[in-house]
Amino acid sequence: MIAEADLVDQLKDPNAQSKAFEVLVNTYKQKLYWHIRRIVLNHDDTDDVLQNTFIKVYRNIGGFKGESKLYSWMYRIATNEALSFLKSKSKKQGISNEELQNQMLSNLQADVYFEGDEIQLKLQKAIATLPEKQKLIFNMKYFQELKYEEISDILETSVGGLKASYHLAAKKIEAYLKDN
Amino acid sequence: MKELNKNNPFKTPEGYFENFTDGLLDKLSEEKLNLPKDDGFAVPEDYFDGLHKNIQQRLDADETKVVQLHPYRKYYLAAASIAAIVLLFFGFNWNTPKELTFDDIASADIESYFESNELGLTTYEIAEVLPVDELEINEILENQFDEENVIDYLNENVDDIEDLNLEDYE
Repeated sequence: MIAEADLVDQLKDPNAQSKAFEVLVNTYKQKLYWHIRRIVLNHDDTDDVLQNTFIKVYRNIGGFKGESKLYSWMYRIATNEALSFLKSKSKKQGISNEELQNQMLSNLQADVYFEGDEIQLKLQKAIATLPEKQKLIFNMKYFQELKYEEISDILETSVGGLKASYHLAAKKIEAYLKDN
Repeated sequence: MKELNKNNPFKTPEGYFENFTDGLLDKLSEEKLNLPKDDGFAVPEDYFDGLHKNIQQRLDADETKVVQLHPYRKYYLAAASIAAIVLLFFGFNWNTPKELTFDDIASADIESYFESNELGLTTYEIAEVLPVDELEINEILENQFDEENVIDYLNENVDDIEDLNLEDYE
């Protein structure tokens, strides 16, 4: 696998850019897809947000100074894109974030690309009750199995804070599943 | 009676307290959860295979887009929106009530315009297109506000007026 620093150099080089971008997309498409999918839940919306994320990465790679790792920079863009997408969606429909979450969950039941059973659907409902940041942390740790250090780079939060948030999120989910 | 030794004879391993919080958080966050690991989401067949091609097509399409004939149109739109906000803010009164007034423009529409359009305008560019003369802005700036009104306004609109550390410098 190509080293991250070399890939960044190639992305900034007009002669190597095109090939490097293909490598970049192929390397990160699945990881970023699942990250976005767990925020927006629906496949078509995820596809839109994912494409926008890669386009933003392509257009802004010139300004990437390497102060953070490329993958954490891309994850940050993906997170912002997904959250802004939801924000503008709720604004367009004139509904609150909570109402949008409920709408997304009820759509999930009829989604052809959701093959979850009753427990998996209930788990999504439990996750939807979490505050935004806890939701991100829980998904990144539990489903994506990212290391705390990686999540810390992406969300710019201390590892200790992440561990505490994850524990709180897990307890809330367990309590929700027990009560419902 | 023999004097009791006040010194604590108990010792802790080196760095115990420094590492206590980390150890506790590790323990809490590593607790096993009785939840399914598979969340049930699926993707259309071959979706990932065609992704790069789709993104590349979008990038190519953007690059070959026809240059806008009126590139300044968006600046005018931006200027109009800014003027609308400024006028709303300063309580501009229309003398012709039958025509559309700025009150008819929902602030949400203006807000969403700014949110959904990358204006990329610098303050200088805004100043260039904003018809400041027509606003008679000097009239507003030259007006002296009554101190009492200012205090009343702050009292009503600031959560904790004490935090402002207002002092009398006169």
